[in-house]
Amino acid sequence: MNRTVPVLGSIAGLLVLLAVGAFSGGYQIYIANLLLVFIVLSLGLHVVIGEAGQFALAHAAFYGIGIYVAALTTNAWGLPFPLPILAAGLVAGLIGIGLGAVALRMRDIYLALATFAFGEAMQWVFSTWTGVTGGPNGLHISPTRVFGITILNDTAAYPLMAALTVLMVVIAVLLSRSRAGRSFRAVRESEVAAVAMGVPVRRTKIAAFAISAAFAGVAGGMFSIFSTYINPDSLGFQTTITVLTMVVVGGLGSIFGAVSGAILFGLASEFLRQAPSYQEIIYGGILMFFMMFAPRGFFSGIADRLEASRRG
Amino acid sequence: MKTIRTRIAVAAVAIGMTAGFAGAAYADDAPGVTKDSIKIGLFAPISGPNKAYGFDPLNAAKMWYDKINAEGGVNGRKIDYVVEDTRCNANDLVAAVKKLVEQDHVFILNGGSCSSATVAAKDYVVRNNIPMVMLNASGDGALYPPVKQIYGAFSISQHAVGGSVVEFSVQHFKARKIGYINHDDAYGSWNIEAAKYMAKKDGATLDVQSVSPTISDVTAPMLKIKAANPDVLVLTTYARPAALIVKKAHELGFNKPIILAVTGTANLGQMAENVGGKAALQNFYTQEVLAGAPGSEKLQWVYDMYKKAYPKLAAQPDYPQPYMPYGLPPAMAVVRALKEAGQNPTRDKFLDALSHMKFDSKVMAGPIEFSPQDHAAQESTIYLKFDGKTSTLIPGVYTNAWHYGDK
Amino acid sequence: MSLDVVILFLEQGIVSGLVIGSIYALLALALVIIFKTSEVPNFAQGEFYMAGAYVALFLVVFENIPTVLALPVTLVVCFLGAALFQKFVLTRVWKAKGSPINLVIATLGLSYLLKGLVRNTGFGDSPRTFPSLVSTDSITIGQASLTYLDATIFCTAVAVMIALFLLFNFTQLGRALRALGMNPKAAQLVGINLSRMNMVVWGLSGAISAAAAILVAPKLLVSADMGHVVIMAFAAAIVGGFASLPGAVVGGFVIGIAENLVGLFVSSQAIAVAPFLAILIVLLIRPQGLLGGRVALKKV
Repeated sequence: MNRTVPVLGSIAGLLVLLAVGAFSGGYQIYIANLLLVFIVLSLGLHVVIGEAGQFALAHAAFYGIGIYVAALTTNAWGLPFPLPILAAGLVAGLIGIGLGAVALRMRDIYLALATFAFGEAMQWVFSTWTGVTGGPNGLHISPTRVFGITILNDTAAYPLMAALTVLMVVIAVLLSRSRAGRSFRAVRESEVAAVAMGVPVRRTKIAAFAISAAFAGVAGGMFSIFSTYINPDSLGFQTTITVLTMVVVGGLGSIFGAVSGAILFGLASEFLRQAPSYQEIIYGGILMFFMMFAPRGFFSGIADRLEASRRG
Repeated sequence: MKTIRTRIAVAAVAIGMTAGFAGAAYADDAPGVTKDSIKIGLFAPISGPNKAYGFDPLNAAKMWYDKINAEGGVNGRKIDYVVEDTRCNANDLVAAVKKLVEQDHVFILNGGSCSSATVAAKDYVVRNNIPMVMLNASGDGALYPPVKQIYGAFSISQHAVGGSVVEFSVQHFKARKIGYINHDDAYGSWNIEAAKYMAKKDGATLDVQSVSPTISDVTAPMLKIKAANPDVLVLTTYARPAALIVKKAHELGFNKPIILAVTGTANLGQMAENVGGKAALQNFYTQEVLAGAPGSEKLQWVYDMYKKAYPKLAAQPDYPQPYMPYGLPPAMAVVRALKEAGQNPTRDKFLDALSHMKFDSKVMAGPIEFSPQDHAAQESTIYLKFDGKTSTLIPGVYTNAWHYGDK
Repeated sequence: MSLDVVILFLEQGIVSGLVIGSIYALLALALVIIFKTSEVPNFAQGEFYMAGAYVALFLVVFENIPTVLALPVTLVVCFLGAALFQKFVLTRVWKAKGSPINLVIATLGLSYLLKGLVRNTGFGDSPRTFPSLVSTDSITIGQASLTYLDATIFCTAVAVMIALFLLFNFTQLGRALRALGMNPKAAQLVGINLSRMNMVVWGLSGAISAAAAILVAPKLLVSADMGHVVIMAFAAAIVGGFASLPGAVVGGFVIGIAENLVGLFVSSQAIAVAPFLAILIVLLIRPQGLLGGRVALKKV
């Protein structure tokens, strides 16, 4: 019961988003599309940091890999949906396995630093490998073909984006309830205890990395459906921090938290764009505030209070 | 109970999707045009770390539009402008453009000071046939190859920066070997392409060092340049790395001419301070794209106009900012094209007017000139010798000869 | 590349590397003393450094306070600022949920806040210089050239490192700090005031970063993004061994020299990615770094 409410709540929230999107102008739909991408990104980060407790900071790198793979397969071979996005998720996931295998031996802080370094090195690769990624000039993304229809604007992309997001949420929920999900949480709580319980810790950690990377890759594939251009500037640590903030604001450790954090923070960012000179200050302030007073996130706090009052 | 919830959910999804498809964009030749007004969408970085590139150029464009309005407008219509901040990054620029087009329903777009951000809007603008006249962005990525809807490089394209500075080095200094330090970003790749072409054409060789814009220790690139012993050193970096390199060149005893491209000349007074004064600037030249040296009478009318339009800003130190005049030629081009598009302007008529435009803005070193194959407005540069206090004009206008497709 | 050029490049690379490396070493020390006692990689370290430079800039250039007075004031301000951050923000974060991740996120928040504040004051828009106390004339060592300023930077940085060494090994405060680094609970048991010690550590880190900034500002200019060099400090700390003070120093010089040699012998473009590669390689092959001793026990 306790978990069903937030899960259905997030689906309901998504549907509200859908309905709102259906009746607004093109610009709002563009913002909504971006939010949907960030929801999927947040889900991915939630899996590796929230569920498995691995402080991995390379998320933007996998997002970038996803975007470039989807864009290149569409540009070069004109592959129709769903092939580019599947390729994006797959390639990102495979590289995630590699990173996971390498990161096995590392402790929290070293893991954070190593994944951070990997993310920055990846951004350098995006910028320098001009032949493949277009380098600093960026890459133009051809329109996606979905079952015969070519998607040429945000409004046309929206229903597909929404459906994909719902799908990823469902996958995340199923994953959380599966044995894999239980293994993630066991490893997060205590590796030694997990080993004692027979959890294959190494494989679990690698799986967490791979799945998180795959989610980010799929988010990249989604981005390439409605976007026409990608540039390495937006694929660095700043983006990883944005997603981390979303997950933290919503609440580490719950899917509802990840989804709602993405929506809340995404909308807040949109409003923040109106006060650009204060953006960094407000941003930093929010991070510090939440860490000091609401470390389990906005919605965890509310859910706890509801729970407590229900119990009386 | 769960089933009912699921059914409602499915229904909502279905409704959402159908309604989504229904919201298609309407086709309209002249949104933003009413009986007595034309709406223009302006955008530039007006805040944040790159404010210097867009804040005052935007003010210049606005003051031109205000002047035209005061004189009666264009073909009886007033120019109505809406402003968005792009903070010089691609995501914010795309959002700004979409907002202007889809929410504010502007007729045309006039904006963009940061090239790599401006490129992000290219596909959207092309797909929706919206004329985009860049502000002071070089915009190479959106100008080569040219597309029907986009015009730019009113200050100068990065290709022209690289091409013309090589031309200057060869003509003025008779350089056979040119040291060249650029950045490994988009702008760097653009200016080096034309520089290489011009060097080959003029029979000179380039020794290139590409550095990151965030570099702090410039010993390695500068030492390599010195070891290569070129006749001149060209810098197409931003102001901070440029200052570091000039300092390091002085430390290493490099005394050949150093030419700083317009990319790094934002604040020459500060640069003089940053390099430690006259000693490091004994053989130092700057590239300029305006019609005369800063402070010359040729441009006095621009600064007078600014003072009249923005008295409070003009009274502050550091204002107007160095790039301010660059905002005038784009606004001039927009007004001319609107005039030519006539009483019943459409987007296509506007674009058509631009495609064969040529005029002297009285602001830039060369004419503003377009052709159907060339949407880059300005390609000429002048050079000044700067000793830390005064700039002396070197006679001559040097023009880039690289065109799209040249190798 | 002829042998002459190779030798020139080596000499210059090493000399310049030692100079810039001394700054990286100071920043790495500032990082490591926090890490040893609070277990937090301080992502705001670059902004401590940047803030130090701006405070000094403000005092000297804008308020025209004589440098002799402004510099110590800057150090004190930065010491206090960092210490207060620890006391009022980090302790609350730790109490709210005792996870190191949250502390790291809090430091990230601080880094954005500081950067935003500096940009908002309007100073941060163009790179500024800081007047040098020492002449910038060149001297040569072998074939390598450097300035008096460079030599001063190096010597002063080494002096600061020696002072820290003396502090940690020969004073009561130093012993208390070392105890805190080894085992906080035990340290508390023997009567060491944990909260005050933590404040001192952070304060020291802030002051060291400010000192590094003041030293290098005339050379590298002051800008709102100057905190970017902290990635070099992270690389230095990892290469040397993140929990080792001498390691941080060695790591700093190694990274400084490597940066220059990579730029000279590989390409100027590769300089930007070199620290990240160094971090990845060290963490893969020898995570405890050069001087880190045996690998730390995994957390249970």
